[in-house]
Amino acid sequence: MQTWTWSDREFSLVPDGRGWTLQCAEPGGGVLTVGTGLFPGVYSDEALEKARALVRQTHPVGVNLIGPDVNHALPVTGVRIVGPAVAHPNFIRWTGDSVAFPSPG
Amino acid sequence: MDIQGSVALITGGANGIGEAVARHLVELGGKVALVDTSASALDRVVRDLQALGGQAIGVVGNVTSEADTARFIAATLEAFGQLNIVVPCAGIIRDGTMLNRDKDTGQVSRKLSMDKWQAVIDVDLTGTFLTLRDGAEAMVNGGWPGLLVPISSVNKIGQIGQLNYASAKAAVALMPKIIVGELLMRGVRHIRCVGIAPGYTATPMLTGMNQDALKAILADVHIDRLIAPDEIARLIGHCIENEALDATTIEITGGLCHPKGIAK
Repeated sequence: MQTWTWSDREFSLVPDGRGWTLQCAEPGGGVLTVGTGLFPGVYSDEALEKARALVRQTHPVGVNLIGPDVNHALPVTGVRIVGPAVAHPNFIRWTGDSVAFPSPG
Repeated sequence: MDIQGSVALITGGANGIGEAVARHLVELGGKVALVDTSASALDRVVRDLQALGGQAIGVVGNVTSEADTARFIAATLEAFGQLNIVVPCAGIIRDGTMLNRDKDTGQVSRKLSMDKWQAVIDVDLTGTFLTLRDGAEAMVNGGWPGLLVPISSVNKIGQIGQLNYASAKAAVALMPKIIVGELLMRGVRHIRCVGIAPGYTATPMLTGMNQDALKAILADVHIDRLIAPDEIARLIGHCIENEALDATTIEITGGLCHPKGIAK
């Protein structure tokens, strides 16, 4: 089994008889199976390289900031208040903190 | 086209029709990339496919996002190196009539909200378009033979309470003729497009509904039962293998009729 960390999460690549199974550790302690039977006939180093490339697509890093939403302004006594475009498909409602958020200093 | 060795991208792949299509294609030797909004649901389906000895990946993604669409197609290519079959199953309903009247005054008391309208159009129409467009782009650029399978609905003929859903599904039902015509115009002959328009299907949404309401629905279905998702999956498998099927939308309804017996 080979493991690596990407975007604060631990991934592992395990041979599964047919190819490789890609797993991802959940923050709460569980393990999700991302892929199975991957890269048949490929040796471990190359499989790891391919799995890393795959994970960059399945688990992208980054937060898109969307807005302001000028089409849905809230008029308040002559002032038009515009918020973020929360209905935009790329808007991310971030309610948690990152476990790897750098500490001050 | 042979299913054995083919690679399918299935949105809404973690339940209902999408899950059944994934299972059927894996059983026949296909490889599947599943897209859904729930990581845990994808995990369950990928594990099931693993038990079948299949090749599969699950990608969390939003079909209404161009960025996500590009990403889950890129993930499919990273995992399997090609793309042959695109089945955009992701869909939602947000039912409601366009207008509601107050019983006492007769005045309009409520209108179908933009939230309900736009959400359904975004997922069922725009999401289908994005998945087909970018899937076809990959297939054209890769030179791989393929099939696009937009999922319409028998309610494309017009269903009260579903102005949003029926409008989206009517548009999706038209897609095969337009897409194939455009592919022909551009000299692309190795990619077909066949739409599927299911009737009432035994997905969790229907089987979990009020049983009296379900019984009323079945009264108009000739075969007297819901369609199994696997039956739709097998029809899609047939469409993949039968190259004479192209530029059309096929209904699979179990003989769904209007009350009094006129077939829809």
